[in-house]
Amino acid sequence: MPDTAPESTPESTPESLPGSRPAGRALRLGVAGPVGVGKSSLIATICRALGEELRIGVITNDIYTDEDARFLRSAGVLDPERIRAVETGACPHTAIRDDVTANLLAAEDLERDFDPLDLVVIESGGDNLTATFSPALVDAQIFVLDVAGGGDVARKGGPGIGRADLLVVNKTDLAPHVGVDVGRMVADAAAARENRAVVALSRRDEESVAELRSWVLGVLGRFRAGAHVAQDPGPMAPHFHADEDGGYVHSHDDAPAHDHAHAH
Amino acid sequence: MTSPHALSVAMLLADARLPSGGHAHSASLEPALLGGLPVAAVPAWLIGRATTVSLVEAGTAVVTARLLGGAAGTTTPAGAVPADTIPHATIPHATGPDGVRGPAGPASAVLDRVVDAWAARTPAPALRDAARLLGRGYLRLARTLWPDAPEVRAITAYDAVRGPLPRAVVLGAVAGATGLSAADAVRLTVYDDAQTAAAALLKLEPLDPLTPARWVLEACAAAEPQVPRVALCATPEDIPASGSPQTEGWAEAHALLSQRLFRA
Ligand SMILES: Nc1nc2c(ncn2[C@@H]2O[C@H](COP(=O)(O)OP(=O)(O)OP(=O)(O)O)[C@@H](O)[C@H]2O)c(=O)[nH]1
Ligand SMILES: [Mg+2]
Repeated sequence: MPDTAPESTPESTPESLPGSRPAGRALRLGVAGPVGVGKSSLIATICRALGEELRIGVITNDIYTDEDARFLRSAGVLDPERIRAVETGACPHTAIRDDVTANLLAAEDLERDFDPLDLVVIESGGDNLTATFSPALVDAQIFVLDVAGGGDVARKGGPGIGRADLLVVNKTDLAPHVGVDVGRMVADAAAARENRAVVALSRRDEESVAELRSWVLGVLGRFRAGAHVAQDPGPMAPHFHADEDGGYVHSHDDAPAHDHAHAH
Repeated sequence: MTSPHALSVAMLLADARLPSGGHAHSASLEPALLGGLPVAAVPAWLIGRATTVSLVEAGTAVVTARLLGGAAGTTTPAGAVPADTIPHATIPHATGPDGVRGPAGPASAVLDRVVDAWAARTPAPALRDAARLLGRGYLRLARTLWPDAPEVRAITAYDAVRGPLPRAVVLGAVAGATGLSAADAVRLTVYDDAQTAAAALLKLEPLDPLTPARWVLEACAAAEPQVPRVALCATPEDIPASGSPQTEGWAEAHALLSQRLFRA
């Protein structure tokens, strides 16, 4: 049965942003990261901070339940109808990378039902450090860590930590309780990322929320201006091989089927 | 470019790694287990599906291929076309609002008849919805791989106006476009259903992963005597009407749950 698209309410596009969706669709922003680091909460924070000026839709990829979608609906930050849950067949990793069909269809449906949207945020099911979004699904992605996972995680690297468009070090308010030096963790992350963006976030710290907000608006602006190119963090982060010539950075960019027999 | 052998196409379509959204589906297995089907009954249940609901799907695919491809009725065009081969005929282009017209009438009218016949044999809305979601995933694949095939253009035009087609119909169009024989389209449908359930079973129950592989072949073997009959289906009325009311009930109950790994 063809779904009938509800009448879209006429709203004005954010004036600070160039053009009105020249790409013809919303910016698709992925949010990935291990279980419990605060992905859903961060999406709620984005909705709270930008819900007035942007038309937002959210897709969650839950593993066992539609818990994340229900959490976000009950947070009251967005019309519950604009939050959709997608099943992942117990493979959250596959759903954002190897077979993005279910998420792409859900994004298309959301955009059709609430046309026009400015931003569709897709939450990955909590997975491990290697789970990143395919550029076939999202235009940009945020990888989230939290201080409670330990101060060394940022240093351990991985494709999301190394090369997501933004790395968020979340729950900084907990740092004193878990003995983590946030400054150190952010510095480690910045080094691993060759100075790509890092935000140290706590939903209770207004300043950090403002930083997140302006990062999102920045990407959206570049996306609309046609200046944003979706980056693939890749299934593997670039890493350093020591050898007699002093070593080289091995980027995997041109060797997707590279054999990983060597020890890292 | 030379064309791939139809068997290669069949293998591609049957591969669980095919990125068309299938990994989030369990071919009704999760609903069945949650509904109380004992694991020990799964082999018999698979045989039951292979000889009932899978044949409805298979017949739908065969009839779609035939009607879109121009072999309406039981007439086989003169020439050395084996009886079970779906002729790869050309549909004259761009006639009327449907854009595409086949010998059995405007493509959209043909598709309407097939969809009606399929829907009448698939009473559970949850199963029809899931089949349409899978159909959209298959259509994305078909549009990417065989964009110029008349059968694919016909279903693309239909989808844009009338909404999503069920997977069996899209599979039929692909079979027509790629020269897959009717008998192999039936076998592919039966195999894909059983293998989808078998793969899902490993996510739901502890089991030696090789055990369900045998069950898949047993299900295929059980369907084999039916293959010639289903491969001869030529009109929507010919599509088998072998249903499974218990599966339909389980599917409806499953669609209401907030805890599930699979879409259906
Ligand atoms: N102290 C503190 N707790 C937070 C913050 N953000 C999230 N949390 C808490 O962290 C826990 C997990 O948050 P979620 O947003 O559900 O995390 P998630 O990454 O979406 O979790 P999964 O989807 O299960 O992987 C919840 O108890 C949140 O309240 C924060 O900034 N500070
Ligand atoms: Mg979450």
